Amino acid sequence: MKLLQVVGISKNFGSLAALKDVSIHVESNEIVGLIGPNGSGKSTLLHTICGRTIATSGSVLLSGKELVTSNPMVRAKSGMAIKFQLARIYVEKTVSENIMLSLQSKDGIWSLIRSASSKKFIPKIEELISEFQLSDYANTKAKFLSHGQQQWLEIAMAMASNPSILLLDEPTAGMSPKERADTAKLIKRASEKCGVLIVEHDLDFIKDLCDRITVLHYGSVISSGTPKEIENDPKVKEVYLTRV
Amino acid sequence: MKRRMRIGIAVVCAVPILSPLLFLSGNDYLIQAATRIFIYGILVLSVEMCWGQTGIFTFGQAAFFGFGGYFAGYMAKNENITDLGVLLLIALVAGVIAGTLIALFLFSGKRVGELYVALVTLAISYVCEKLANSWTFVGSGNGIPGIPFPTIFGKEISSSIALFFIAFGLFAVSMIICILIIDSQFGLAINAVRDDEERAEFFGYNRSLIQIIIFIFSAVLASIAGALFSLSEGFISPSSLGLTLSTSTVLWVVLGGKGTFYGPMIALAILESVDVEMQRALPSLWRILVGLMLLLTMIFLPKGLMSLGEKSRNKREQKKTT
Repeated sequence: MKLLQVVGISKNFGSLAALKDVSIHVESNEIVGLIGPNGSGKSTLLHTICGRTIATSGSVLLSGKELVTSNPMVRAKSGMAIKFQLARIYVEKTVSENIMLSLQSKDGIWSLIRSASSKKFIPKIEELISEFQLSDYANTKAKFLSHGQQQWLEIAMAMASNPSILLLDEPTAGMSPKERADTAKLIKRASEKCGVLIVEHDLDFIKDLCDRITVLHYGSVISSGTPKEIENDPKVKEVYLTRV
Repeated sequence: MKRRMRIGIAVVCAVPILSPLLFLSGNDYLIQAATRIFIYGILVLSVEMCWGQTGIFTFGQAAFFGFGGYFAGYMAKNENITDLGVLLLIALVAGVIAGTLIALFLFSGKRVGELYVALVTLAISYVCEKLANSWTFVGSGNGIPGIPFPTIFGKEISSSIALFFIAFGLFAVSMIICILIIDSQFGLAINAVRDDEERAEFFGYNRSLIQIIIFIFSAVLASIAGALFSLSEGFISPSSLGLTLSTSTVLWVVLGGKGTFYGPMIALAILESVDVEMQRALPSLWRILVGLMLLLTMIFLPKGLMSLGEKSRNKREQKKTT
């Protein structure tokens, strides 16, 4: 069974069809890239998958479970985690608290009030902040981190919830080349634990990282395949690669 | 133990040690004023939990204060129920019922904006005041005067010192409970809802349930404060349900700094301590001065007076990070 299956998704905003019958899938431990020019519908598709936007028609299945009309909370509890384009972390909280927020999100209210799992999560927090190169900032408020570190923190928070599918919206936006290379390694490592779907502008970054790539144009899938196949696809060359 | 709890315990220990100085003055008025500060302190705690910690802009918290006050006052005067424990329990139930009904209306559906919550709660407070003003069953504009003093194990509590300690005791318990909540993992979750409720939902938090729980909790706090107010003052009037008190609580929270926990209580203590004297000294100017203070705080210190300390802490932390 495929891990994430998006089948025939359409999304209309009034008379504008932002997505037209889009289908993609992600297997476990696979990294799938989603590319396309500006306005092609990449972010809308990602938002439809994570529940920020409800699709006009179609289906979003995670491990066979239908989630297309579910709210973000249900999708998160089903194993979906997202990193937004602009890092949405809790800037007034410390790095450790941010990760704790994600780790404890599946606990019940009574358990949270009793702080029942606070000690249990400490080793996991230490493991994650070390993996994402944030060990020196464990007790630093997230607002004092650099842009790249904030992006890593958000990926760390997403991974803390032990997701089965990780959705990344332009994870390297605004990063230095060194930070981009480090981020690629982190994503590669994350894919050992879950499936990853990345929306990215940087084709060089995505072709070295992804197992498969899907290209969107005006809300429709125009090509899908391995990075090599995508690079050699004349349709992609025509509508996307020549414009980059 | 976190800093907030250490300060809380210091306050709880300091008051009984320092209060004899107040009693030695022999001035009953001062003792009553201090009692009122602790009662309003519980009300401010309820707004801080709702607005400061969870981001629910409750602009009509006086409505719950009034519910508690009217229920306890009515029962004490007309039903001869004077036992303090029973009356506080009645206020607690009144707070739970009123809080649940309003919380379900506000938070059980889709996310609503801060301004929407503020306007709905403000409207509720306004309607309650108007209703109490015209409803003869609760004394119309006169409210309920002549509420008997509460009793504990059948013994009447009429001395101002005893009432002071009861108010302080309830304030201290409320404050410690609030600190325990904020410093718990649940505190982290309510702050997450305050700072970015949509993000919290994407982590899997039940935003709606968290807001409902905190709203009911703060309604209960306000209701208990109202009950204590009517029992210690011996009366309750429509103004205790209405816009003036609701606005005052928001004023204390904004001046002190919402989300800073102690800030609103410090602002309340300062303003209430000088309020009567200042009104006497500057009858036409004092309210304008308070309004001006609010305006200046909002322009130059949008996070309140307590943010002055926070600013220097942040600078230190930033220096350490770089």
